[in-house]
Parts: sequence; structure tokens; C-alpha cells
Amino acid sequence: MFAHMMDGFYAAFSMANLIALVFGSFVGIVVGILPGLGPMVGMVVLLPFSFSFAPDIALSLLLGVFCGGYFGGAIPAVLLRTPGVPSSIVTSFDGYPLTQKGEAQAGLSAALLGSFGGGIISVMILMFLAPVLAHVAASFGPPEYFTVALFGVVLVVMAFRSQLGRGIMLLGLGFWFSTVGIDGTTLSERFVFGTLVMQNGLDIVPICLGLFGIGQTLILVEQSIMKTDHIHLSRSTLDFSQLWAALKYWKTLIRSGVIGTFVGLLPGTGSILASFMAYDTAKRLSPEKERFGHGTPEGCIASEAGNNAVPAGAMIPLLTLGIPGDALSAVLLGVFTINGIYPGPLLLVKEPVLISTLYFSMLLINVAAFAMLMIWLRPFAMIVKVPGRLLAVVIMVISMVGIYAVNTRLFDAGVAIAMGVLGYILLRMGWPVVTLVMGVVLGEIMENRLRQTLSLGEGSFMILFQRPICLVLLALTLLTIAVPLIRDVQKKTAA
Amino acid sequence: MKNSSLNSRTHDLLGSVLGVSALVLLIFSPWLVDTTGPDPFYKGPLVFPLITLGLILAGSVPSLIRLARPGDALWYLDGQGKPFRAARVLGCLVLYLGGLVIFGLEISTLVFLAVALKLVGQDSRAKLILVPLLVTVILTVIFKYSLGIWFPEPLVMQIFME
Repeated sequence: MFAHMMDGFYAAFSMANLIALVFGSFVGIVVGILPGLGPMVGMVVLLPFSFSFAPDIALSLLLGVFCGGYFGGAIPAVLLRTPGVPSSIVTSFDGYPLTQKGEAQAGLSAALLGSFGGGIISVMILMFLAPVLAHVAASFGPPEYFTVALFGVVLVVMAFRSQLGRGIMLLGLGFWFSTVGIDGTTLSERFVFGTLVMQNGLDIVPICLGLFGIGQTLILVEQSIMKTDHIHLSRSTLDFSQLWAALKYWKTLIRSGVIGTFVGLLPGTGSILASFMAYDTAKRLSPEKERFGHGTPEGCIASEAGNNAVPAGAMIPLLTLGIPGDALSAVLLGVFTINGIYPGPLLLVKEPVLISTLYFSMLLINVAAFAMLMIWLRPFAMIVKVPGRLLAVVIMVISMVGIYAVNTRLFDAGVAIAMGVLGYILLRMGWPVVTLVMGVVLGEIMENRLRQTLSLGEGSFMILFQRPICLVLLALTLLTIAVPLIRDVQKKTAA
Repeated sequence: MKNSSLNSRTHDLLGSVLGVSALVLLIFSPWLVDTTGPDPFYKGPLVFPLITLGLILAGSVPSLIRLARPGDALWYLDGQGKPFRAARVLGCLVLYLGGLVIFGLEISTLVFLAVALKLVGQDSRAKLILVPLLVTVILTVIFKYSLGIWFPEPLVMQIFME
């Protein structure tokens, strides 16, 4: 155990891994700062490049973007009241009033300290909780895995229950995309429509890159350019004295990090809820609650610690059960599976060094992102001045060439364009695209588990009702569906 | 009348298109999936596609009903205007893909970036010349020379060679 930890420690500090995580964090901060892009676009654009690396380095690169994005999102939220990532909107509640009072440094110091602290705390919890969950899940067979996956997708779909039909439709569509091509088990053709190119199936990469890389940038070309003339920072680096002053809110920092981690580990909840819950709790427990909303560093710390704890929180169900909680971790699951690594309880036993490397890399990513922003605060803040439309066009062309480069197939680039159109329409309409990505990524896994389960039960689903863990998970799934729907009906009746 | 996404015929139309497509695929799936293997149905390649298409169809039922009985619903997207600029850039992107085959990576990238930047209003001389040049050089160096990715020989070059 200790030897594996040490191996992971050394692997995390290897030059290649350090370069990957620092570069990933840099890209993450940039896309996080730019409103309209966000870490998802950064991750999917780097996805084709990541295939030429070893799995641990590819994961460090993409995790760098994932975590760096949340760091970067706080900058425009504090300086311009425009969140770089949606969850940073909560940071703007107190960050922007601080900027208006001429205390931008106090707001930024608190927000970045919150991001750093939240990230570190959540990785610590991940290191402790993942082995415990994996130990519990070690006795799982195909029926248990299937019901866990079912529970995970139901949680995500129910998180969008105001659009339940659309969520189910997109989940089904994602599952269907995963069935196109040659079936891995029976080598039968499925929905290839007599063509050769379809036999390879619809790859996860062009689908994700199309939906988010191209879809999101098509939206960006239509948005007006931000007015960013009024960015004024007193110094080009972070002010150490302000950082020291913000440390007096250490209790809020720890509490918010813990809240963010546990919200993050629930599929479908997302970083916005983590931010809001951490902020609300800090406000209720603070002796200075009247200052919340008018500019207090404590609010910035709570919100940022909450949302930056989400990536590590989301890694807990991903690593131990193979269930991604959101679109970003779904892409990470794609990276695992493309490299022939299947997350689940056995992953911690089979790949202990990789897991340890991942833990230390996540700690290092938080350090790297914090250090970069501390030193180059003003240059990073000035990134918001880069016209979004210019970036959108450049990202499109990088995405197209990148997607072609993965398999040197123009068909994949065509799929990415088609998915870009679908993504653009769905994003503009506000449909829950995350359920589509979940469907694509989990489709193959769920199908295999389902067929194994049915094989064990000789074609009958009754096997699910004969296993206690499955029964508990099915009951939880039913409750997840029934309780919110009953509450909604009760609210409507009361109104 | 409500102008909200929850009460929009555009959303219902998209949902219905997905639902009807799923129904068509569901009907024809026994012919679109090769089921000649020895496996019983529950182990075979058809069971999961049937479930997925069933899910799409089930999810589309509310949209189909609302589309048939529109009530006071309007044709409404999101209130952010018509997507003309995005459509033009998308058109360029499709042409870019064809351009990769006909003219090769360098020329297509250069032309696509210049035209697309002009279309999105980033049309200062410096941006129109510098950005396409810089991006083309970076992409060529990274993909062609560093990663050694093979790109199809431009058709134009083949014509000249002949």
C-alpha cells in the first residue's frame, strides 16, 4: 500500500506529468476565465491530443483543465460580475461588490484561497473515501453494477426533472449512439445502413467534441463581445497580505470544501448546487451574516471552496463504481475506457499506482493553478479582453483537425460537425445535454452489464430481485423517481 | 400567451422528430441489426437497441401530444435571435472539411480562418492576416511534423502532378 503510494508520488512528480498538469491547469484557467467557454470546451479540445500520452499523463492533462477551469471562473466573476463558469455566479454576489469598493484584491485573494483550499480538502476526502467505497463494491457482480449504473443515470435524469421527457429522450439517444457499429460481443452489425465507415461506430471523442467543442463555439460566435474596459487591478500579482487576512475564515473554508465534495459525489447535482449550498451555509453560520451580498471575502471563500471541491468529489463514484456524476467526469471515464481501463472497485486493486498518481496529480494541479494565478493575476485577468468570436473560430479549426488526427478518418470530423449542430440546437434550447453524454459514455458499459445480468438470470430480470444489494439499489432508484415527482404534484395541488 | 421554452412548439417539434425517428428505427431494427448469431435474444445484439429506442420514444410522447394539441404555444427558440451567423460559420466548417481533401491542410485552414473571421466581424487587417497565418503554422507544425499525422494528399496537387 505504502509502496504504491510512493510509486504514485514519484510518477506524479515525473517531468512529463508535471508538464501535463501545469499545461492542463493553464488551459483550464484560460477557458475558465473566458465566459462562454468553460472547462468542458478545454477538455474536449485537448482530448484528441491526450491519446498520444500514457493514461496517467492524459488524465493529469484533462484533470488540470477540469480543476483549472473552476479556478479561472472566479476571476471575471469578481472583476466583472460575469461568471467564467456557471457556478462562479455565487462568487460574484460578494466578489463584485468588493471590486466596486476598490477591494478587488481582497475578493480575488479570498476566491482563490477558497478554490485552493476546497480543492485540497476534497482530494483528501477522495483519498480516504474511495478505498472504503471500493471495498464495499468489491463484492459486486454484473447485476449490482447494472443497478448502480441505473441508479446513477436516474439521479442525473431526475436532476433535470422539469424536462423529464427531454432528459429521457437524450439519455436514450446517447445509449443508441453507443450501439451503432459492430457489436463487441457478437460481432454483429448494428445500424450501419450498409456502409463501411459506420462499422467502426460513433466514437465518444467526436461526439463529445462536436456537442461541446463545436456546439458551444457556434453559440459563442453569436454572442456580443463583452465590455471589459473597466478592469483595474492595483498590482499584477496576488496581494499576500490580503491572502493572509482571508485565512481568518478557515472554518468556512473547511466546511465549504466538505460540502462541495459530498455534493460533487452525487451524480447530477453539479457545481452550481455545491456553490450555493456552501455559500448559504456560510451565511447562516457567520457572525457577520449582514455583510453577505454586500461584499465580504467570506462569501467568496465559501462559494469557491464549494465549487472547486466538486471535481475530486465527482471522482469518488467515477473511480469506485464507474459512474460519472456530470459531463466533465463522463469525458474522463471515456479517457479511462479508451485506454482499456475500466473504473470500478477493482481499479483500486488492479491499478494502485495509477490511482495514487491521480491523487497526487490532483493535489499538484491545485497548487499549480493557485501559484500561476498568484503570480500572473493581471495577465490572466486581461484574457477576458480577447474577443470570444475570434477564439470560437480558432477553437473550431483546432477541434476539426484534432478529431481527424485521432483515427485519421474524415468521417469522424463529419460526425463532429453533425454533433456540433445537434449540440448547438440543444444548448440554445436549454435541453439537458449532460444526459446525452452520460448515455454515450455509459451505453456500452450498461449494455454489457445488462446482457451479463440476463445471462445469469437465463433471460429473466427476476435475478435483480433475488440479490439484496440490487434490491436496495432498486428501492433507492424508485424513491429517487417517486419522491420528487410526488412533491411536485403536491406543490401543484397546493398552488 | 407564454414565450417560454416549456411552452414552445419548436421544442415539441424537435422532441417529435426524435420520437418519430426512434419509432421508425424501432420498427426496422430487426432488419438493421444482424441477429443471425447463435445467441438467444436476451444475450443478443438487439435487446439493448430496442430498450434505447423505446426510451427515446417514451420520452418523446409528451412532445408528440403537445405538438398535436398546441394550445397557446408559440414557435419560439430562446429569444436570442435567428442563428444566421452560426449557420454561415457552420457552412464554412463543412466546406473546410471538403477543402482538406481538395486543397490540403494548410490552404484550407488559412482560407477557412480568414473567411470565418470576416463573417464573425473580426475583420481588422491584422487579425485577418496574422491569426490565420499563425494558427495554420502552429497546426501544421504540431500535427504534421510533431505528431506525424497523415493528411490526405490534396486532389489539386494530384492534378498538377499528372
